[in-house]
Amino acid sequence: MTHIYNSKTPFERAALDHVSLKISSGSFTSLIGHTGSGKSTLVQHINGLLRPSSGSISVGDFVIEPQKKKQDLKPLRARVGYVFQYPEHQLFEETAIKDVCFGPMNFGVSAAEATKRAEECLTLVGLPSLFWHRSPFDLSGGQMRRVAIAGVLAVHPEVIILDEPTAGLDPHGQKEIMELFHKLNKNSKLTIIMVTHNMGDAALYSDQILVMEAGQLKMSGAPEEIFSREQDLRNMGLDVPETMVFLDKLTDKLGLEKGRPVFTLSETADRVADLLNGGAAHV
Amino acid sequence: MEKIIEVSGVSYFYAEDDPWVLDDVTLSVNKGEWLSIIGHNGSGKSTLAKCLNGLIVPQKGSVRVGGFDTKDETNIWEIRRLVGMVFQNPDNQFVGATVRDDVAFGMENHGIPREKMIDRLAQSLRLVKMEKFADSEPHRLSGGQKQRVAIAGIVALQPLIVILDEATSMLDPEGRREIIKTMRTLNKEHGLTVLSITHDLEEAVNSDRILVMNRGKVVREGSPREIFKTPELLEKIGLDLPLAIKLRRLLNQRGISLQDTALTQEDLVNELWTLRSTM
Ligand SMILES: Nc1ncnc2c1ncn2[C@@H]1O[C@H](COP(=O)(O)OP(=O)(O)OP(=O)(O)O)[C@@H](O)[C@H]1O
Ligand SMILES: Nc1ncnc2c1ncn2[C@@H]1O[C@H](COP(=O)(O)OP(=O)(O)OP(=O)(O)O)[C@@H](O)[C@H]1O
Ligand SMILES: [Mg+2]
Ligand SMILES: [Mg+2]
Repeated sequence: MTHIYNSKTPFERAALDHVSLKISSGSFTSLIGHTGSGKSTLVQHINGLLRPSSGSISVGDFVIEPQKKKQDLKPLRARVGYVFQYPEHQLFEETAIKDVCFGPMNFGVSAAEATKRAEECLTLVGLPSLFWHRSPFDLSGGQMRRVAIAGVLAVHPEVIILDEPTAGLDPHGQKEIMELFHKLNKNSKLTIIMVTHNMGDAALYSDQILVMEAGQLKMSGAPEEIFSREQDLRNMGLDVPETMVFLDKLTDKLGLEKGRPVFTLSETADRVADLLNGGAAHV
Repeated sequence: MEKIIEVSGVSYFYAEDDPWVLDDVTLSVNKGEWLSIIGHNGSGKSTLAKCLNGLIVPQKGSVRVGGFDTKDETNIWEIRRLVGMVFQNPDNQFVGATVRDDVAFGMENHGIPREKMIDRLAQSLRLVKMEKFADSEPHRLSGGQKQRVAIAGIVALQPLIVILDEATSMLDPEGRREIIKTMRTLNKEHGLTVLSITHDLEEAVNSDRILVMNRGKVVREGSPREIFKTPELLEKIGLDLPLAIKLRRLLNQRGISLQDTALTQEDLVNELWTLRSTM
C-alpha cells in the first residue's frame, strides 16, 4: 500500500511507501515510530477513512482499492472502530452521553439500548456521571479522551483502532484504560491496533509490534524481538521501555553484560537482585 | 527570589450552576524557575493556566503577572507579551494558512519588526525541526508535528514565561527529550520561566519545583524530593510515582535494603552500585 497526500500538486507528500502487513483477528498490535512516520495515515486506511494511492487493503471480506467507485463503508465502520489521535476531531454532539449514543444508533441500535451501552461505557472509561450531560467541548482534555474512547466501545466493534489512546490521561487513567483494552482483547477477542509513543505499553500488551519510519515498515515482531534491537530503535528516534532503560544504566555502571528484554517492574526487580547477588546477567 | 507570577485566593467556575473548578488557589512562580504542575484529569490545571495569561479572569482572588493584575483589561496586552502559552490541543492555536504564516502572524501581533521576524521564524522552526514544513498547512500535519509547530509559534515570540500545557504529549521519545532539552537551555541560559503541565513524571522529577493539584486545590508544593517523600498521598489522588521509587519498594521487599532517598534512576543506580561494592 502506498499513500500520497495532495497527489499531483506542488505539495505532494508520500506518507506511506509500499507497506505490506498482516494483522490476525483477536491479536493486539502496536505501531510505533517517529513523528510523521505515517502511523496515523496507515491506520486510517483500515476503516476506510483514507483510500490507498496504490495497492490495496482487505479487512475481513472488505477490499479497499484506489478506484474512485463509491463504496458503502458503513458495514466496515460498524466492525472497525476508530479512536482519533485528538478527541476533538471525533466529538460533536451536544452532550457527552449523546455523543456516545451516536455510534450505536447510527448502526441501528435502539435509543434505549444505546443509552444503556453509553452508560456502561462511560463508566468503564472512568468518567463520573456528573459530566455525562455536559457538552463534550466543556470537558478537560483527559475527560474528552475518555468520552471519545467510550463512543467507539459502545458500537461493540470487532476491531478497534486506537491512535495514542493514553495521551492526556493521568497516570491512573492510563493504567486503567490499558488494562481495559487488555481485558477486552483477552476475554472478548477484540482485535486491537494501537498507535503509541509509550514503549512500555507497547511492550506489555502487544502480540506484535510494527515499527514505522519515513512511510516504510521497518520492523515487525514480538515485543521481545523488537526491543532487543535497541540500537536500531534509537537510530529511528525510538527507545526501549523504561524498565530496560534503567537496567541498561545499571549494567553499564556495574560493568556487566545486558540481559534479555524485561518489561514488568517485578521482573526488573528480580533482575536487579540477580545482578547484585551473582553479577552474571542471564544473557 | 523575584516572584514573576502571584496567584492569591483564586476561585473560578465556568457557569453559575457549576461547582468551583479552582478553589482558593494561592501560589507564586519564581523568575527563571522550571515549575511542573501535576494532577488528575479535571483537577483544574488547564483552567489555572488560562487564568495566568488572562484568558479567563477568576471570580475570586487575584492573579498578577510581572506586577500586572489580570483583572484590569488594560493590562491584557502586556500580560500576553509576558506569557506565551502552548495549548493542550494545538489546533486551537493555529490561525495561519501555512506553518510560516502561522508563526509570523503571532510575531506580527506582538509588533516584532520585520527583519527580526525573518530570523526568528527560521530559528524557531529549526529548533523544533520543522523547517521543511514551512509551506504546509498546520491542520494537515501529523499529531506530533502540530505540537512542534505550536511550540515554535510561542518560542518565536521570546516571552519571559512559557506555559506548556501537555505540549509534548504526542511526541516520540527522542522528540520529547529534545524539545524538553531545548526549553531547558532557554530556561538555564536565557532565564526563561517555564510552567509545565505534565503527566510525565520523569520530566517532573527534573524540575526545580512541583505543584500538585487535586479537585481544584493545590494540595502540595515543593521540590521533587519533598513531593515524592510522601508517595502514598500521590497514589491516593490518582497519580503515579517515578520508576526509581516503585523499584526501590520492590527491592526492599526482596530483602535488598535501600534508603528512601533515591528519586531519579541515576540516584538508584548509584546506590545499588555502592551497595554491591560493599557486599
Ligand atoms: N491531511 C494531510 N495532508 C497532507 N499531508 C499530511 C496530512 N496528514 C499527514 N500528512 C503528512 O504525512 C506524513 C505522515 O503523517 P502521519 O499523521 O501519518 O504521521 P504519524 O506517524 O501519525 O505522526 P505522529 O506521531 O506525529 O502523529 C507527515 O509528514 C505529515 O505531515
Ligand atoms: N469550558 C468549560 N466549561 C465548563 N466546564 C469546564 C470547561 N473546561 C473545563 N471544565 C471543567 O473544569 C474542570 C477542570 O478542567 P481543566 O481543563 O482545568 O482540567 P485539567 O486539570 O487541565 O485536566 P486534564 O488533565 O484532563 O487536561 C473539569 O472538571 C472540566 O470538566
Ligand atoms: Mg499520528
Ligand atoms: Mg488540561
